[in-house]
Amino acid sequence: MKLFSMKLASLLDKMAAIARRDFLTAIRYRIGFLIAAAGTVAELAAFYYLSRAIGPGFRPDGVEYFPFLLVGTGLYTFMVMGINAFLSTVQEAQQTGTLELLMTTATPAPALVFLSAMSAFAGNTVQLLFYLGAGLLLFGTPPHTPNIPAAVVIFGLSLAVAVAIGIMAAALQLAIQKGSAVVWLLGSGVWFMTGTLFPVATLPKPLQIVAELIPITHSLNAMRLALLQGSGFSELSGEIGILLMFSLILLPFSMMVFSHTLRRARLEGTLSFY
Amino acid sequence: MDSIVLESVSKIFQHRPALFNWMGRERSGNTQALAQVSLSVARGKVLVLLGPNGSGKTTTLKLVSTMLLPDAGRVMVEGADTRTEPHLVRKHVGFAIASERSFFPRLSARENLDFFAALDDVPRKSRAQHIEDMLARTGLLDAADTLVMKFSSGMYQRLGMARALIKKPSVILLDEPTRSLDPASVAHFWNLVRELPAEGSTVILATHSFNEAAAVGDSVAVLHQGRLAAYRTVGGSLVESLRSFYFQTTGELDESAELMPRNFR
Repeated sequence: MKLFSMKLASLLDKMAAIARRDFLTAIRYRIGFLIAAAGTVAELAAFYYLSRAIGPGFRPDGVEYFPFLLVGTGLYTFMVMGINAFLSTVQEAQQTGTLELLMTTATPAPALVFLSAMSAFAGNTVQLLFYLGAGLLLFGTPPHTPNIPAAVVIFGLSLAVAVAIGIMAAALQLAIQKGSAVVWLLGSGVWFMTGTLFPVATLPKPLQIVAELIPITHSLNAMRLALLQGSGFSELSGEIGILLMFSLILLPFSMMVFSHTLRRARLEGTLSFY
Repeated sequence: MDSIVLESVSKIFQHRPALFNWMGRERSGNTQALAQVSLSVARGKVLVLLGPNGSGKTTTLKLVSTMLLPDAGRVMVEGADTRTEPHLVRKHVGFAIASERSFFPRLSARENLDFFAALDDVPRKSRAQHIEDMLARTGLLDAADTLVMKFSSGMYQRLGMARALIKKPSVILLDEPTRSLDPASVAHFWNLVRELPAEGSTVILATHSFNEAAAVGDSVAVLHQGRLAAYRTVGGSLVESLRSFYFQTTGELDESAELMPRNFR
């Protein structure tokens, strides 16, 4: 028990050190920090006016378009930014030349990548809450009472899926120095199939089948059901079960891939290549 | 008791050709960085690695630190194998690498040290004092709260040394640690290195400087084309007339005068 509490204290201490590093670095890129904040506000405004232009007649999955967009893009952005955080952690460490040094500290490499990404996730969570808060202000309270406990469960499982994909992106970055391919795929080839901007049902049948194989599709669908339609756990059990299955398969698999890639990079001497 | 042991260690780097290599001239093939190198360093001793560029000095240090894994042979640090027990090795090793690009540029020197100290399990309670001591020891107290992106090459090297020492490692690896330092700082640094064995640390220092080898080393290993070409113990001093001329004309403090007279045996 004492050993566990010591390990937990050490982990929290490291988490705090990483979060402090990221926060200090972010605010010292003063203009970049302001531009990112302004970008979020501009994006929200664009969605608001887009939904007004489309008009109240378009009700995907039976809900108004603005909240549909808000939850979809908010959660999708959160997940993709989180995945990107893993990649950036490795990429930036390669570019700043800190990767080799970080890999010789007493902190195991997978823990280091995980904690760094968690720090980025914390920032993204603030952005997600800002998105949803702004949505409440602009849209008012939804007609159905949101199922907050279910939303928290879906959020946790979505986080686990994003962590697994993120670790694989980090492994790819270590292996071929082009982990950005994963984020590119998510940003360009996959997003339209996940139901971020419009319902998956509007896609042709073959693409609907592909969409079912993408965990993010289930995250967005489940979160919309929980937040916008107040669905109960029994109605959500299918989507939650699928997300749980993705998490249980992808998390250990991604850790295995990362460990293998790291060992290979140490053997080949490519740890600091970028 | 030996702190560091290399047993018949070999390391080959492979250069894979690019997909469309006919469009460029990228070299393919292998580089034998180390070939069957066996070495050991007793606890509390300073081993200096000498050798031309590409002789395998940095590769040796990286193998000891676990940054690299050997293709053949075995590297042991404080009884732990770098291949099978890297987590144990990392608790013992502090590494000051030659590259300046190994810090977070938008953090200050103090913040960088704090970050690495946290990752190296330096206790939170004593961390601030420990950082202060290291900054003082490496002459960086005045620049402690300056963002490191504003540092000179020499300041980066001092900070690298401070980072390597922050966890009080029993094995310290120094890669060309005085490359960018001015002569006064070099002498200060040599004295610092000579203090480390008394504190229980074992040191491997890679350098091109014979003066540095004579000043700080207990023994010297010469690497050439990845092979151990020679190994000898060191003692005595090499005094250069240029050194006294330099210090007389600049008026800087020559701390090298405090060093024990040493010569190659």
